[in-house]
Amino acid sequence: MITTLPTSAPDDSPAPPPPRLGRARLYVRRFARNRPAGAGVVIFLVLFGYAAIGGHVSRWNWSDQDFLALTEPPGASHWFGTNQGGNDVFTQSAHGLQRSLVIALSVSVLTVVISAVVGAGAAYLGGRVERWTLAVIHFLLVVPAFLILALVSNRVSGDWRVLILLLTLFGWMFTARVIWSVSTSLRERDYVLMAEFMGVSRRRIVARHIIPHLGALLIVNLTLGVVTTVLSETALSFLGFGVKTPDVSLGSLLADGSVTISSAPWLFAAPAGLLVLLTVALTLIGDGLRDALDPTSTAGGHG
Amino acid sequence: MFRYVARKAAGWLIMIILATNATFFLASWFLDPRSNYRELRPVRTDEQIAHALEPYGLSPSWSVVHRWWYWLSDVVLRFDWGHSPTGVPVNSEIPQRALVSGQLILLGTVSAVVLGIALGVYTATRQYGAVDRAGQAVSIVLFNIPTAVSALALVLGAVWLNQRFGTTVLHVAGANTPGVEGTWPTVVDRADHLVLPTLNLTLLGYVSWHLTQRALLLDALNADFVRTARATGLTRSQAIRRHALRASLIPTVTSVAFSIPAVFTGAIVTETVFGWEGMGRYFTQTISQNNVDGVVAVAAFGAAATAVGAILSDIATVALDPRVRAS
Repeated sequence: MITTLPTSAPDDSPAPPPPRLGRARLYVRRFARNRPAGAGVVIFLVLFGYAAIGGHVSRWNWSDQDFLALTEPPGASHWFGTNQGGNDVFTQSAHGLQRSLVIALSVSVLTVVISAVVGAGAAYLGGRVERWTLAVIHFLLVVPAFLILALVSNRVSGDWRVLILLLTLFGWMFTARVIWSVSTSLRERDYVLMAEFMGVSRRRIVARHIIPHLGALLIVNLTLGVVTTVLSETALSFLGFGVKTPDVSLGSLLADGSVTISSAPWLFAAPAGLLVLLTVALTLIGDGLRDALDPTSTAGGHG
Repeated sequence: MFRYVARKAAGWLIMIILATNATFFLASWFLDPRSNYRELRPVRTDEQIAHALEPYGLSPSWSVVHRWWYWLSDVVLRFDWGHSPTGVPVNSEIPQRALVSGQLILLGTVSAVVLGIALGVYTATRQYGAVDRAGQAVSIVLFNIPTAVSALALVLGAVWLNQRFGTTVLHVAGANTPGVEGTWPTVVDRADHLVLPTLNLTLLGYVSWHLTQRALLLDALNADFVRTARATGLTRSQAIRRHALRASLIPTVTSVAFSIPAVFTGAIVTETVFGWEGMGRYFTQTISQNNVDGVVAVAAFGAAATAVGAILSDIATVALDPRVRAS
């Protein structure tokens, strides 16, 4: 990870001012210094690669059934073993990981967009719009969201595209609340007032002074939102309300594995290990991004 | 103090009523009680099914508003929460289940909050020490483990332990062993069953308290009022205990209320894994059996649990924060 560091060491002048890095390079440099975040990126890329091509490197297909190998432990032919129906766990996990990743990434992006628009919008518009938006957010935070999710998702019987819509619909409130509170305090900051007195245009204030503060929050929420979504999708599918057979996700694989946990532990180990690796990697990346994008950070400025 | 709590409780009561009634309409919209009868042989006609459902107020020939009014008047007048589509009264299921889930949620929340705050305080006062770093690493991993994974891992561990000792050290299924009699054996038996599910909820719940309490106390430690307290001659630990800790606890206790829905969701999965017949299991059963009244009762229970947590944290805020006046 260290190889991306630019080699800049100006030592020709007696008292050199520290070189002013471009913002993007500054972020990259700060992020690259963070070892756990680097490890997170590596793990995530490996998992991403597994989800993308895992189904093609094995000679089995995730929906194929091998009737000569039922409930077989991991071995040379079936790398992660097989389940009771003779499905290859290696390719099934790859497919499940792919499902979970697609759901989590799209929900996370949609959620961040919606909560940014709603949260920042409420803060800038103020007045009655702000009050009503907050009332709706608070009400939605109190209603049993998981119950409603399960109700609706059970009815549409496991279509992952509908699941994306549902998880988005009930996932944006908390982030919107956070973005709203940050935006209201940003609006009142001294440097924003100062810029206003200096006659800087409103759009320029938003772009140069407010978005950089909000942008970090949004990107961090994007990665941590993936974790949250993976966790709720897993819980839903585990209980049988999310992705359903014949389709598989990590949550439904976990539910299958839980039945035979002592007789065939590999059915549980594969999805459980993948899930934990995925969420830990994303959290490490999110923490690294938070440190790198923090405008008040002094880390990695020069040298 | 009493009036303050009463006012807060009234506000929450309105929230519960709104949420419960909204759930009734949602459940009526998405669940179809008729499908419970469609599988039966000989095949029932639509009229027969409607006729069978009518005594339970679930008849599809009634409008939603009519069904809602039937359900609401039963709840308000006789505290009768309705019936499943096959005629099992919801009231016969709830008390036992609510008790089972209530103790799980209460114990899980309390032990998670206590453990998390204790760890947060301990690590914040020893920032960047070995314990702090280790605790941080453990917490990041635990924070990311899905409830189902941790519950199943605990089951695996307990099964291994039981095989190792050749006897049942920890029970992995059910809330009690049938046939245990006498006061003391019953208490021991129940407590033994409680260990693993509570441990599961605690392990997953304490992390956020640990991390937030650590950050809050670190902020408070550098605040002017703590320096002033030191200047009056208090020792470091006295200043932390009486001033910094008290101030940093306020945001933590206010957020206890909003953690209850997450604990309830965790309890649903935990009950499913450990085979507890609580509200969580009832939740999954009612949804898959199109039991509209049962789903609504679960929603009411969840909202009530949140409200209890919120009122308790309001009381704690009044006790801790000198700026809040309870009158």
